[in-house]
Amino acid sequence: MVFNSIEFAIFLPVVVLLFYLLPQRARWFMLLTASCVFYMWFVPKYILILLVTIVIDYLAGILMERNSERPKRKKTFMIISIVSTLTVLFVFKYLGFVTENLTRLCALFGVETDLAVNIILPIGLSFHTFQSMSYVIEVYRGNQKAEHHFGYYSLYVMFFPQLVTGPIERPGNLLRQLHEEKHFDYDNISKGMRLILFGLFIKMVVADNLGLTVERIYDEPSTYNSWSVMLGAVFYSFQIYCDFFGYSTIALGSAKLMGYDISDNFRSPYLSRSIAEFWHRWHISLSTWFRDYVYIPLGGSRVKFSRWAFNILVVFVLSGIWHGAAWTFLFWGFAHGLLHIVEKVLKKNAKTLEPQTKVGRWSIDLLNVAKTFILVTLFWVMFRSSDFAQMKEMFVAMFSNFDVERQVVVDWQNFLYLGLFILSDIVLRNTRFDRWCDGKPLVLRWLIYAMLVFMIVVCSRVENVPFIYFQF
Amino acid sequence: MKKLVIRVVVVAALLVCMNWVYSKWFFRNDLVKYSDIVELSWQVADDSCRIVYVGESSNNHYGKEEPDRRKISAYVSEYFPTVKMGDMTREASHAQTYYYMLKHIPEDAAAETVVVTMNLRSFGSSWIYSRLETALRKQLVLLKDYPPFFNRFLLAFKAYTIHSDEEWDNMAKEARRTAPLDFPYEFQHPTSDEWDKSMAWNGWRDEEGNRDQAKTELACHYVKTYAFTITDDNPRVADFDAIVELCRQRGWHLIFNLMAENVDKANELVGEDLLFLMRRNRDYLLQRYGSMEDVVIVDNLSLVRDVNFIDQNWTTEHYYEEGRRIIADNVAKALKTFYPNEYANPNTLHYDYGHFRGNPAWHPIEASRPCGAGFVVDSLSSDWDEVDVAFFAKPSDSIASIFLAAQCADAEGQKTVKTYPLPMKHYGVRSWDFHTQSIVLDSVFKASNNVKLYLVNTSEVPVEVSALDVSFHPANLEPEIKGKRQSP
Repeated sequence: MVFNSIEFAIFLPVVVLLFYLLPQRARWFMLLTASCVFYMWFVPKYILILLVTIVIDYLAGILMERNSERPKRKKTFMIISIVSTLTVLFVFKYLGFVTENLTRLCALFGVETDLAVNIILPIGLSFHTFQSMSYVIEVYRGNQKAEHHFGYYSLYVMFFPQLVTGPIERPGNLLRQLHEEKHFDYDNISKGMRLILFGLFIKMVVADNLGLTVERIYDEPSTYNSWSVMLGAVFYSFQIYCDFFGYSTIALGSAKLMGYDISDNFRSPYLSRSIAEFWHRWHISLSTWFRDYVYIPLGGSRVKFSRWAFNILVVFVLSGIWHGAAWTFLFWGFAHGLLHIVEKVLKKNAKTLEPQTKVGRWSIDLLNVAKTFILVTLFWVMFRSSDFAQMKEMFVAMFSNFDVERQVVVDWQNFLYLGLFILSDIVLRNTRFDRWCDGKPLVLRWLIYAMLVFMIVVCSRVENVPFIYFQF
Repeated sequence: MKKLVIRVVVVAALLVCMNWVYSKWFFRNDLVKYSDIVELSWQVADDSCRIVYVGESSNNHYGKEEPDRRKISAYVSEYFPTVKMGDMTREASHAQTYYYMLKHIPEDAAAETVVVTMNLRSFGSSWIYSRLETALRKQLVLLKDYPPFFNRFLLAFKAYTIHSDEEWDNMAKEARRTAPLDFPYEFQHPTSDEWDKSMAWNGWRDEEGNRDQAKTELACHYVKTYAFTITDDNPRVADFDAIVELCRQRGWHLIFNLMAENVDKANELVGEDLLFLMRRNRDYLLQRYGSMEDVVIVDNLSLVRDVNFIDQNWTTEHYYEEGRRIIADNVAKALKTFYPNEYANPNTLHYDYGHFRGNPAWHPIEASRPCGAGFVVDSLSSDWDEVDVAFFAKPSDSIASIFLAAQCADAEGQKTVKTYPLPMKHYGVRSWDFHTQSIVLDSVFKASNNVKLYLVNTSEVPVEVSALDVSFHPANLEPEIKGKRQSP
């Protein structure tokens, strides 16, 4: 079930209503059942994969707790759990990629063979496996008590608002809240509805409409002039942001309706002044996951520069292939890592002059924001391209097609939607839509709600446009 | 509580306002963009059509080499020259689409009678679960009976059946696997799927027992397409029932036009058992709708021969001209019951060419070659010995001259051509002039079954001719000249 569907528009109110009607002791069961229905709406059989990882990690948690005095055993259980979860992830996400490349490698050496296997990726696998692993690691580290109630643990992994595209929640936040008794609070309903409205607007109106131009450009980049290709690249930057941010915001709102606070995943990433800052603002739940479970165990920043650079590259390459089993994703992650290192080197060696005036500081910030946005946009070209050939075609068209006559035709409304979104992103830079609304006059608030509803209904694309991050 | 009630009232008021704004400024554009079938409904109303022909691709397909590419509905309209007729044709559509097309004909339209195409294949699982269904259903969302803003909400939130091609195929396959076939005698294949598998396994074999793979595949396709049993719970039956109800409400005469299928090919490839099912389904429809008051059902199922089907390697209702004319003739006979005084059989009285429905409005005649405005007259009766030609002409030079050329062929294929000069009284160069000429045909043409007529421009300068009418009549009768009613 996707958030922008009529099924979810019926499903969510029913679940919320049942949630408040049922006593606390029955809520976990209702939410778990609802989450199963939500997940099985896509492809029912894939729930078995989820069940396998849930059972393994649940048992691992308990066994680690029981063996807390025996570190070796505890570690063994942790390793078994992580390896089995990663095996599931590898088989369903990366096996096809690996076998395909092995086949090519064999062909290079003159061995004709076909090892390629084609396995369909279960929806949201990367998200819930990472969520599962964070539980196991936290229990191993002693930061989290093992969950003995199988239902609550399953619900922690399967909680429907964030099941398929995150945010990747930590047990310290979500599992704890699942045990808490939630009472009906109008404020939660109001905030939840605001977030859902805003999320639907940026997904259905902004992302999906921009996607139309992006599809046209990426289908045949070489036939368009450079300005059109650049516009397509910029539109994709906003499409992927609005798509993912929209989904995360709806997830936040859906959980908020029942009183659960799940983590913010974005904080105006395109207003970042550096790549490092960008990653503090983009897909925060994944960035912090890699920070806590990969980067810091590798030594973090308290090591020699070369070791630090290595750590950064490892984290970013892993982040790249987390997104998808393709060389383009790996390359994208590597490019981000490399730029991160270059930025640090430049910052360390360059003598920066601190502007004395406010205008001067703003100008420098603006330039840095523009620089970061341009770099991130160029990197998104790698991310969006299906292979290196398309990536090359895009870059060539972007910088050498100035004399081509064909220009992409974009409805003026798309610029209006984009403008509205950019404005909202600037306004909401240090806050969130639901909180921002709090202090505003009633009439203004309701006018904004009405405008959002009207635009969601009237300006959204009618084609079925799947969420981009579903593929990960 | 009071706060909550106020909020609910405000939300309701806002929604009413939004619906008003949307209906007033956005809805029509959205209809054109996402449910363009409604334009067809508006068009027949704008054209003040009294008879509306509703159909799918069978109405607008023709052979590539055919000079006469008119639709079935165009042929039908020839039978009722004084009744304005229009068509609503949309490829791959079916009864559910027709229902919405008809429903959106404005209440004050001049429509009196609707002729609705009934395609036997559309009752089968291959069409019910066709890959086109997602798109077809999407375009119906805005046409539902709810307030426009709510319909747009349904469209935005994808409140229609969305399946991938693979899922539709699987559903069709599942239906073929499970739906029983109703034979009154012992038949070895209980379902279409088993029959298909058996056909694929045993293959189509010629008289000498040799397997023909191409024909085997086509035979399997025929089984998949036609081997089903229509029952009361078939979704198409519900759609046609809804059309009946709608026509009753609107006071329209209703004719269901059951299209011809390639029964010759079905018989050749699969055999009598498949024909039995096709006829059994036809009988079900005849019985169900034929017994309803105010409904006429025209049965064309077996009327068109294999040679008149354009697609020989697939199941379609795309006919060559002869096939289209057969269907049109049958429909016209049914329409005659509602318009007895307006009925005039064009094949014996009058042959009209030159309105170029769907073609460029003005037909240029190139220098000294048959202009292409040729017309073929079948069954020319010996009683009709004068041909009357009426047209508008615009010569680009005063030396232009136009002839009528008549051509016939005897049994050996020997052609006879006679030319008849069309004397022009006054040429207004580069301006349109109406001309009517009567010519007595030579006796050689009266004995022929088939006569081709051409307008020939023998000069080097181009002449444009439009609104060309030709009628045959006995010399002692005054000709009817339709061309006079038109102005270019």
